[in-house]
Amino acid sequence: MPPVVRLLAKRLGTSLIVLVGVSMLIFTIARVIPGDPARIALGPNATAEQVEALRERLHLDEALPIQYGYFLRDLSRGDLGISLYTNRPVTADIAQFLPATLELIVVAGLMMILIGLPLGVIAARYRGSWADHAVRIFTLLGVSAPSFVWAVILMLIFAFYLPLFPIAGRIADSYAIASVTGFLTIDTLIAGNLAAFGNAAWHIVLPAFALSLSGIGQAARLTRSNMVETYDKPFIEMARSYGFPERRIARRFAFRPSLIPSLTIIGLDFAAMLGNAFLVEAVFAWPGLSRYGVAVILRKDLNAIVGTVLIISAMFLLVNIIVDLLIAFINPRIRYSQRAS
Amino acid sequence: MSAPTLRIADLGLGFRTWAGPVEVLHGISLHINKGERVALVGESGSGKSVTARIVLGLLQELRSARISGTVEFEGRDLDRLSARERHALRGTRMSMIFQDPTSSLNPVYRIAPQFHEVLKRADPAISEAAARDRAAALLSAVAIPEPERALDSYSFQLSGGMNQRVMIAMALANEPALLIADEPGTALDVTVQAQTLALMRDMVEEHHTSVLFISHNLGVVREFADRVYVIYKGRIVEHATAEGLFADPRHPYTRALLSAVPRITGGGIPEIEDVSEDYYQPLVVHEGCGEPEGVA
Repeated sequence: MPPVVRLLAKRLGTSLIVLVGVSMLIFTIARVIPGDPARIALGPNATAEQVEALRERLHLDEALPIQYGYFLRDLSRGDLGISLYTNRPVTADIAQFLPATLELIVVAGLMMILIGLPLGVIAARYRGSWADHAVRIFTLLGVSAPSFVWAVILMLIFAFYLPLFPIAGRIADSYAIASVTGFLTIDTLIAGNLAAFGNAAWHIVLPAFALSLSGIGQAARLTRSNMVETYDKPFIEMARSYGFPERRIARRFAFRPSLIPSLTIIGLDFAAMLGNAFLVEAVFAWPGLSRYGVAVILRKDLNAIVGTVLIISAMFLLVNIIVDLLIAFINPRIRYSQRAS
Repeated sequence: MSAPTLRIADLGLGFRTWAGPVEVLHGISLHINKGERVALVGESGSGKSVTARIVLGLLQELRSARISGTVEFEGRDLDRLSARERHALRGTRMSMIFQDPTSSLNPVYRIAPQFHEVLKRADPAISEAAARDRAAALLSAVAIPEPERALDSYSFQLSGGMNQRVMIAMALANEPALLIADEPGTALDVTVQAQTLALMRDMVEEHHTSVLFISHNLGVVREFADRVYVIYKGRIVEHATAEGLFADPRHPYTRALLSAVPRITGGGIPEIEDVSEDYYQPLVVHEGCGEPEGVA
């Protein structure tokens, strides 16, 4: 079995165990916190008989392990139950709200990689110069305030005082785009509507940037410090003694060995953005999973809470698997240690 | 007679630091004729390695370094060359071998692409396949069994001795006129170091490569070098043929250095003075070992 396949199988197996654990945990927590979901859903005017009937329908009168058994049975059929908040299947709700959040996070993640890594490389290559200092100040700002603070500041500066970007939402109301994937930037392209694509892309810039700023900062700072360290390694001096051009040394010889810790951090930040996106979405009125998540938690909508948390955990694990595979691809030592174990 | 491969005259080096200027080299002179193996011997901090890096042109890029004197390579004054011309010599006409072969190879690339990079310095158009063939031939010349497998390995999968052979093959791949060996194989164990040094000697003899051999190990120098310069605190203190130096060490520092080598026959670790006024005595040049006249 090729080592990469073995690594993948191993990571998928442990991820499954983690998911089962998360589902038990969130399932229990959602049920032991005070408040009767049936009473909240039906409102103060419902009779005791109506509440009791709903409790029975939701299996809330049974013991916890039995409730969990029902949950697993439904889950195996791809059914996460009905949301008491929207009165629709939880899976339908998630399918509607998740793409907006994913789109935001993917764009923010791309910004993290395409802005953060090059900034770190530049700072390391020209360390001590004005470019290095500029990058370090910029990245320090990025890591020193949470993303929702940046969301408010960016919105005030670039949408309010200087109306360069739209202030809220995913796309102007004047565009009617058929939902195929749920990703507006993709759907607009499928529809062949370039003006709508531009509008959607324009809407995503500020929230994605606010979300990615701390990730950009961390990635750049980590890449810089790792590359500075790599520059002192004998193999860099050897590359210099062979007269390889500085630019090639930076891009080929120093960058790749320095990339591994940065990738790990980017993976973790990517996952952390799932949580931070809640607040950034709130600031920019972004119709994503977070607004849904907050609403269902306030209403103690059990099925929706468990469904939302499970999906976010699954994405977290998926991102981590991807990062692990990338690291194994970049670092031969890890790739070969898999074979030995 | 043709110009020596390397001629260093009155080379001085100082660094500007926060605490003020620090002088590292106080005007050293040495030369290496074509095909000659010359050792530069001294304790750590004596200025051996910086001399090598000035010859390669690496220190000239440091803004804090102040360099005076002349370095001539194959009759050309390095100071008069442009940065680009100086850069073009590196990896082609001169190359270097380092202390620790394993950490001198990049850990995230296999040997083959690293060889390709080195060969591209002399022939930028060389294809991957051609570079691989040439690298395999070079690796079998340094007695690596199964060169194809070595090419597909990472440095951490090969032994230290193997990596040292790879380094030697790389350093000689572009047929340089000058090979600088900065304490080669100090990180290896003694038997492997001896094997690879013997191999390196055979290789440079075959290719008529001049060698600047930097070491603190006098036993190794005796076996390897034709002529020896002893350096102490940035000054050359004795210049002799290898035979002459070991038969008749004349400078107090050289004698201290020779007595510092622990004997395998016992007698404990020899005691020598760390610092002595005697070590600052003027240069001793043995008969027939003078510096050539500078180019007028």
